Amino acid sequence: MENAGPARAAAASPPAPDGPVWRFLIQPRWLGWHLLMVVSFWGMLWLGDWQFHRALAGNGLSWAYTFEWPLFAGFAVVFWAKTIRDEFRIRRGEMPDPRQAAAEAERLPAGVTGSVQARAVQAGPGPAGEEEDEELSAYNAYLARLNAEVKDHGRWHGLR
Amino acid sequence: MRAAVLRYRVMAYVTGVVLMVLCFVGIPLQVAGYPAVAHYVGVVHGILYIIYLLCAWQLARMLRLAAKPTLIMLLAGTVPIMTFIVERWVTRRFINPALDGGSGQAQPAARVVR
Repeated sequence: MENAGPARAAAASPPAPDGPVWRFLIQPRWLGWHLLMVVSFWGMLWLGDWQFHRALAGNGLSWAYTFEWPLFAGFAVVFWAKTIRDEFRIRRGEMPDPRQAAAEAERLPAGVTGSVQARAVQAGPGPAGEEEDEELSAYNAYLARLNAEVKDHGRWHGLR
Repeated sequence: MRAAVLRYRVMAYVTGVVLMVLCFVGIPLQVAGYPAVAHYVGVVHGILYIIYLLCAWQLARMLRLAAKPTLIMLLAGTVPIMTFIVERWVTRRFINPALDGGSGQAQPAARVVR
């Protein structure tokens, strides 16, 4: 699914990176995330170990936490891996950038939504083949979301 | 999609209520010298929180949320009252638009994906 019509070109325009895509992983911002990740992973394992020793010492309730903390640690790793995988996809243009979309929705004045909607309608019955439907519909849903966000933009402004 | 939303919502409220019981009933009782409530409710919350994590995570993937809102959603289950606030926020900002997009937009949208 290389080119998904006009929709894709308009939607995902990630800043063209210099050099290989993985470079973003060593940006300071991402290094911070990696650090947080490592600290929280080992921190949670340590908490699990601590609960394990408490459990051995006779605190029966600690058994639950003994298994819970490593589970959370594993979950953190899954979260981290998926986030990085998504970021790769966004940067390769295989996926629209949700943050960019949110930022754009905030910047656009109310009048601009009309054109965004029009584009969605055009894209709908367009020359897209059967196999493009899925992506297209995902994109349409995404446009609708943007539209709705612009419409009730403001009330929850502080919470994001 | 709707099923995932329902699961997330149910778990958000259940986890939120149990966490409030833990924090506003269990902990004061523990401080007063009756630790039993806090202990058992604590374990229950721990188990519920795991289920909440799975439901919230699944919904976040479906909505294709960015890392930050996803993290807010997941961690809300550990802060008293936050689940309710975050559930309202997620509904308004992500769930409702996505559901509208699934039914109101161009025809192909209604059929596939969500």
